[in-house]
Amino acid sequence: MSLATVSDLREEQRQSGESGQKPKPALQVLPKIRRRQRGLAAGVIILLVAALAAVLTVNIHVANTQYQLVQMTNEHQSLVHENEALAEQVQYLQSPQALSNSAVTIGMVMPATAGTFDLETSSVVNSAEEAPSTGAPSTFVGAPQEPGAEAPAAVDVSEHILDAPGGLTGSGALHTLTEGSAGQNGAGGEDQSTSADRGVGLNGGTIPAPRLDED
Amino acid sequence: MTRTLSLRMRIGLAVMLAMLVVLGGRLFHVQGLDPAGHAHEALSNRLHSIELPPARGDILDAQGRLMASSADRFDIVADPRLVGEYTVYDEQLQMQRPVTADEAAVEIATILDLETEDVLEAMTEEDTHYSVITRSVTPEQQRQIMELEVPGVYAEPVSERTYPSGPVGGSIIGFVGSDGPLEGIESAEDEALTGEPGERVYEIGADGVRIPNATYEEIAAEDGQDIRLTIDQDLQWFAQEAIAEKASQYNAQWANATVLDLKTGEIMAMADSESVDPANPGDSDELFRRPLALTQDFEPGSVGKALTFAMALEEGQMQPDDAFTVPDQLTVDGETIQDARPHDTYEMTAAGIFARSYNTGTVMIGNEVPEATRYDYMRKVGLGETLDVGLGIEAESILRPPEEWDPRQPLTTQFGQGYTTSVLHNVQLYQMLANDGVKQPLRIVDSYIDPDGDEHPVETESERVFSSETSQEMLKLMEGVVDYGSAMDAEIEGYRVGGKTGSAETAGEHGGFDGYTQSFIGVAPLEDPQYLVSVTLHRPQGQWGEWEITDTFTEIMSHTLASYDVAPTGADSEAYDGFVGERQDYPW
Repeated sequence: MSLATVSDLREEQRQSGESGQKPKPALQVLPKIRRRQRGLAAGVIILLVAALAAVLTVNIHVANTQYQLVQMTNEHQSLVHENEALAEQVQYLQSPQALSNSAVTIGMVMPATAGTFDLETSSVVNSAEEAPSTGAPSTFVGAPQEPGAEAPAAVDVSEHILDAPGGLTGSGALHTLTEGSAGQNGAGGEDQSTSADRGVGLNGGTIPAPRLDED
Repeated sequence: MTRTLSLRMRIGLAVMLAMLVVLGGRLFHVQGLDPAGHAHEALSNRLHSIELPPARGDILDAQGRLMASSADRFDIVADPRLVGEYTVYDEQLQMQRPVTADEAAVEIATILDLETEDVLEAMTEEDTHYSVITRSVTPEQQRQIMELEVPGVYAEPVSERTYPSGPVGGSIIGFVGSDGPLEGIESAEDEALTGEPGERVYEIGADGVRIPNATYEEIAAEDGQDIRLTIDQDLQWFAQEAIAEKASQYNAQWANATVLDLKTGEIMAMADSESVDPANPGDSDELFRRPLALTQDFEPGSVGKALTFAMALEEGQMQPDDAFTVPDQLTVDGETIQDARPHDTYEMTAAGIFARSYNTGTVMIGNEVPEATRYDYMRKVGLGETLDVGLGIEAESILRPPEEWDPRQPLTTQFGQGYTTSVLHNVQLYQMLANDGVKQPLRIVDSYIDPDGDEHPVETESERVFSSETSQEMLKLMEGVVDYGSAMDAEIEGYRVGGKTGSAETAGEHGGFDGYTQSFIGVAPLEDPQYLVSVTLHRPQGQWGEWEITDTFTEIMSHTLASYDVAPTGADSEAYDGFVGERQDYPW
């Protein structure tokens, strides 16, 4: 194969140009791009760039999400533990010993015989007895191990008192639980002024009576 | 030129080919055949498997309340080689500040509520890379420790059993030691509670990091089953309080109160005077670490008379209103037996003998039944046989065959002496007597609950031992005991209650008798017996005759009837007269 150097070509061109007889040879390495094809190429490039950007975005997103995932797994783990600790606390409070203690704290005593009526014959089967005020349950059975101070702080029911339903089973009961006892069991060590203040609304009982002037 | 080249090339080619063949062969030898096991060794080096521990099942009471569960805990461990001064970022100073090992120990000790010296000692122990600072801390404490970022201090997750109700039913639940379950349901039902461990297999590189896209297999662990007991936690607590009070009143060695649903044989409470806290079993005396109703056997005393009366009724040898002349001493075949207290000779009914628990009268009735038949009945109700309620402990009862009896035993076995029973043997006997004569084997496990919630109830087979008529008559005899007999304080207003007292001398460790076992077993309501309460007091202090245990019975029985909504009916007693004739108030 014989090769023509660039200078030869130029010489040739110059000569032909000078003569003006030969047409200018079209030097084409790439075929001429038409207008429509130009658009296509641009589109392809944009597509490529877009794909690259998308891959990058996805990659960044995946990486971020992985961090998030780890974080959320940790969060999940700590929530599971928190939930476990709260469940333990509930179980502790549900144990018969803790219930008995709470009952004594709010001034409850052991029940006496309940009265029974036979509705068919309208007769009294047995008459009710008054529960003795000293009838607190014995405490021979040791209390279970308390979940302890390491558990999350006990949920303070009084914080939810406003959202709680009203009446005997609602805020009234919550009030009783949070305010403690007006009964003899818990009253001993209490500040006199507070028990006096409390006595006003309670009319000697432990559950506050519903009031009309409350919003 | 091509020829010479060709020749050289051929030689070269041949040499290269030969080398290639050798190399290829070697490659095949090493990789394909792997005679030295290198590939296999490499794979097993990379393969790493860890066991996935299954979650241990919970133990629930009859109402589904948790009695034992598992919780995540952490052991705080130090690698003393890595412990030293380090720096942390101080937010107040806004810069890194150094922290010495001593300061770190103080902080750790504060969080864990330990002595600083102990913590520091564990952290600086020599010649070890594993030193335990403390075990079983809560996740909250573990988080606080980890936030300190002390180098060389880390937390190892462990699973710990928790017992939310502590000593309530402690001896039934049992406990777990460091090497596994030791007692109670934890031990007896270990297989069901444990489940099947899983496995995770994956490949790791030399740096210990998992190789992605390589072998990864995971066989999920199969969690253990939950076990629901027949025990009612609240009733168990109530019975424990009541029986502990009784034991303390008379300073007894031990006492037991058992509550049974006699229609199903389900043990609702099995309360001992002291109960082990499964979280700290070491704090309790060894005697109280296992249920006394199963581990202790003793002579039942007069409680055993019910069997003699039932067999005489069943064999048609006696009717409750048959008349007997009952002295306070009786000599049979040269052996003299006497009643607990001297009394005049009375004209009594069989029902009266049972109510007043006279040994002499009982032998007069029992002797109507041949000795071999009596022995057969004793075996039939489970005496001399072990009894297992599902706790892996066999309650003992010792009853020798008649050939081995001494001259007194043909008589004493009729009134509950000369053989031993456990509390549950006695409970089982009264269960069948009160349940229309049908024996429902006692049990304590209600059902197994799979992790997906499927329940597998435990089923037992009932067996008729006595006729329905015998059972009906026995209930009336038991009512007489409460109406005018030896347990008049066992009355509960509005309900018909029946039962039987028992008192027997307790064999001492060195032969002879050196104490008493006082017991009462009662059932209510008699028109449709549902619950049975047994109270046993072992070696109370004081004199015979001054121990009162029926008050504990009424306390527990009233509570049971009220808790399970059994309404009082106020029905009249159907007890038979105790004495022949009009007069019924003869002195004791």
